Amino acid sequence: MFNDVMLRLRSLFCRKTVESEMDEELRFHFEKQVEKLVRSGIALSEARRRARLEFGGMEQVKEEYREARGVNFLETLLQDIRYGLRILGRTPAITSVAILSLALGIGANTAIFSLIDTVMLRMLPVQKPEELVLLLRQNPKRADEPTSSLTYALWEQLRDHPDIFSGAFAWSESRFDLSRGGAVQQANGVFVSGDFFGTLGVQPSVGRLLNTSDDQRGCPGAAVLSYGFWQEHFGAEESAIGSTISLDHKIFPIVGVSGPGFTGVDIGQKFDVAVPVCTAAIFDGKESRLDHRSWWWLRVMARVKPGISPDQLKARLGVLSPEVFANALPSDWDADGKKDFLKFTVVARPAATGTSGLRRRFGEPLNILMGVVGLVLLIACANIASLMLARASARNKESAVRKALGASRGRLIRQLLTECILLSSAGALLGVFFARWGTTLLVRYISTARGQVFLDLSFDSRVLVFTAAIAVLTGTLFGVLPAIRSTRVSLSSAMKGGLGEESERRVRFRPGKWIVASQVALSLVLLVTAGLFLRSFVKLVTLDIGFDRNNVLLVNANLKTAGVPQERYLATFEDIENRLRSLPGVVSVGRSVLTPISGFEWNNNVQVDSPNAPKGEDALVDFNFVSPGYYQTLRTPILAGRGFDARDTKTSPQVAVVNQIMVQKFFQGTNPTGKYFKVDAPKPGQPPVVIQIVGIVKDSKYESLRENTPPTAFFPITQIPDLDDSATFELRSTTPPAALTSAVQESIAAVNKEIPLEFRTLAKQVDDSLVQERLLATLSGFFGGLALLLAMIGLYGALSYAVTLRRTEFGIRMALGALPGSILRIVMKDVAVVLSAGLLAGATLSFLAVRLLQKLLFGLGARDPLTIATAIGILSAVALLAAYLPVRRAMRVDPMVALRYE
Amino acid sequence: MPEPRVDLPQGTLDLLILRTLALEPQHGWAISERIHQISSKVLFVQQGSLYPALHRLERRGWIKSRWGTSENNRRAKFYELTKLGQKQLELEENTWRKLAAAVAQILETN
Repeated sequence: MFNDVMLRLRSLFCRKTVESEMDEELRFHFEKQVEKLVRSGIALSEARRRARLEFGGMEQVKEEYREARGVNFLETLLQDIRYGLRILGRTPAITSVAILSLALGIGANTAIFSLIDTVMLRMLPVQKPEELVLLLRQNPKRADEPTSSLTYALWEQLRDHPDIFSGAFAWSESRFDLSRGGAVQQANGVFVSGDFFGTLGVQPSVGRLLNTSDDQRGCPGAAVLSYGFWQEHFGAEESAIGSTISLDHKIFPIVGVSGPGFTGVDIGQKFDVAVPVCTAAIFDGKESRLDHRSWWWLRVMARVKPGISPDQLKARLGVLSPEVFANALPSDWDADGKKDFLKFTVVARPAATGTSGLRRRFGEPLNILMGVVGLVLLIACANIASLMLARASARNKESAVRKALGASRGRLIRQLLTECILLSSAGALLGVFFARWGTTLLVRYISTARGQVFLDLSFDSRVLVFTAAIAVLTGTLFGVLPAIRSTRVSLSSAMKGGLGEESERRVRFRPGKWIVASQVALSLVLLVTAGLFLRSFVKLVTLDIGFDRNNVLLVNANLKTAGVPQERYLATFEDIENRLRSLPGVVSVGRSVLTPISGFEWNNNVQVDSPNAPKGEDALVDFNFVSPGYYQTLRTPILAGRGFDARDTKTSPQVAVVNQIMVQKFFQGTNPTGKYFKVDAPKPGQPPVVIQIVGIVKDSKYESLRENTPPTAFFPITQIPDLDDSATFELRSTTPPAALTSAVQESIAAVNKEIPLEFRTLAKQVDDSLVQERLLATLSGFFGGLALLLAMIGLYGALSYAVTLRRTEFGIRMALGALPGSILRIVMKDVAVVLSAGLLAGATLSFLAVRLLQKLLFGLGARDPLTIATAIGILSAVALLAAYLPVRRAMRVDPMVALRYE
Repeated sequence: MPEPRVDLPQGTLDLLILRTLALEPQHGWAISERIHQISSKVLFVQQGSLYPALHRLERRGWIKSRWGTSENNRRAKFYELTKLGQKQLELEENTWRKLAAAVAQILETN
């Protein structure tokens, strides 16, 4: 063993000595042999010849000797690399095209994979993340989708179970306004229970973290900053500890900063400031989230005790559940609701990777994109394979010479593969840079004004291993075929010069043909995918959404934190609305509680006195409260009856405007103007509220563009049951909406300087709801285009190569009187065969594969014939374009030149 | 006048080398010569197999090499048996004898 290592090391590091010793030893042997022959009476020259013959090729012997020496692997690897670099350097154009396309392919794969890694696979940077579970409540009626949102009462029931949990904590994200009036300055807050940091095992970097003594009812409150926020907003000054921070206009002392690297348990978000759960009472006032038993605002994680198996945990939670829900029963629910509530159970899900809303929204798109970039890489591989194939055939002579000099076939193949892996490694290296840039871009792309996505994009070892693996894999993939082919040379024909007639016939176009056909097939799949996503997106964007999203500025104002008394809310809002209306450039102004496509909804059951009217869950109607100017501002036409006006005050009879779907569903399409419906009273025990329908409004999308427009009822904002402290103004303007902000700010400041304001445009809000669709459409479009380009290059290359090989043949044909037309037919036959084989395979593949996409499409089937036909058309056109140049060259072969060339 | 040659069966070269070196340290050429002669010119070791084999044996620690002077004062690489090689030789000899006897027995029974 020791011997072995020493000898190998010696051969590796004292290569020169070892080589010369080997030479000397063999020369000695040879001379002794000659000497012996001479002694037996043979002339010196004849003796030398005989000895050499006996020897059977000095170089082969040396090579085998080297092989036995054992280091060979490393040694020849270095040799191969040196040689490979030289070869690649000799054709810089081809090499850089190859590296660039590989870099794009590998970079795209790395980028998407690193997103998948960050969003779905990476462990939380806390102590023993594998022990963490998320606790959810399961409704037996919808057993497959347990929900993680829990009430404070449930949290109180769940937190102390030392028999199964070594710790548990609750948390809830929130946004806080850091400003002390004027424009809102948002920060990402998180309410955490006292043992949040302790259970996770997060250490403070300065000061102290929150603990259970901070989280008691009636607590004064304390704030912990995240490391990043402390650096950004406090310049990493230790003096921040002991100073105060204003959150939604409440002042909290800062007690510490959490350790670097910890950004919370929600992947895709980061917290800036954490406050104890008990501070909810400070923000909410009298009836706080702590007491309200149907306020589902908390999520709960627990750390399972070592030794408790998942089954044991499940059994234990099953036993605990009845008691837990009985003790947290919301007293104001009706009898049916209470009965359902008591049947809920608590279940646990592993939470080592944290939780993330991104997984639901982007899990599937990311997997699909992974498939897309995988295909792109395959196409790039195919390109380089045909490139290498062409080059390898051109190197037939070199292979023959090396073989004649004693290289074994395995050695030649290894040399060629080394070159390929060099190429792919260079591609991977460059690809990693592309990927870094790409992931940053992607994250910015999926971030919206309201949902900033924050991800730690540093590549971990998993990503690097992934990249290295695909680099080697791709290198082998595109290297193997050419390597095997090109080393299968017959020595004599190759040495004779040229390619030899025999090999020419064999090489022609065949392997390249299949490579190109598969490229065509894969490109078609990508084009169809891209087409489907693009068309879905276009359908969504051009959808009649029932309102005009352009040139509308949304201004959210909150009166509560500005200290306006409740009885002044209505008057203040109306004052502001009037002032905004008189701003230059403003056409009309509306005000509402909810804005369209905001992602929020307010719904309730509605009863209509009619035998056919929907009941129970079917009778759910979306609500909104709007001012008289709302419809005009959003350009939603009133189809019958009237909209709201000054008649509709807080004390006037309650009225509503309903949309067409509601008319369909509740009134079978008959005009309901003047009729009534009933809504449960806001407080239990009171009689239902009777509301008269005064108008019908055109359908418009409520929460998202993809939804089936829900039945919607609009009420005058003056008649809102609990006067809401927050409202959004809609301003339609002739000028770009963003330009209005400062005028709006001034105008509202004239009413009250303390009112926090939030600005965005309606167009942006609608746009932001399409992030997922836009991401898929843009990226699949981009990669579809890339695939098309690569396939075009591949076809062009393969065809040019085939034409070059057959130049002589074409020359002879022409010399014998063939017309260019017949040459065209010969070449085009090849193209047609390849193209149709590829298209057929691609169409079949698309047909089978696109079913996966169905869920993400909108308004068209996955097997949309128009999309598939268009993709085939585009691909054929591009293929013919790529074929044009080589074909023209084939037709213009000058018989004399072609013949003389040989 | 090519002499009648028999190709060595797989694996026997190592045994022959070890056996040859058991007498005294030798250089490569002498090893092949001795095998050739002792076998009455029936066995002939190709250089292409001899040197890789020597190296293999050296790596296994059965023989070791050193540079010395040949009979006519030339520098040559001499190989000699190690203790480990001695044991290996005995082992292989035994195996070979058993094998040869068994094969002979089978051939002799009709």
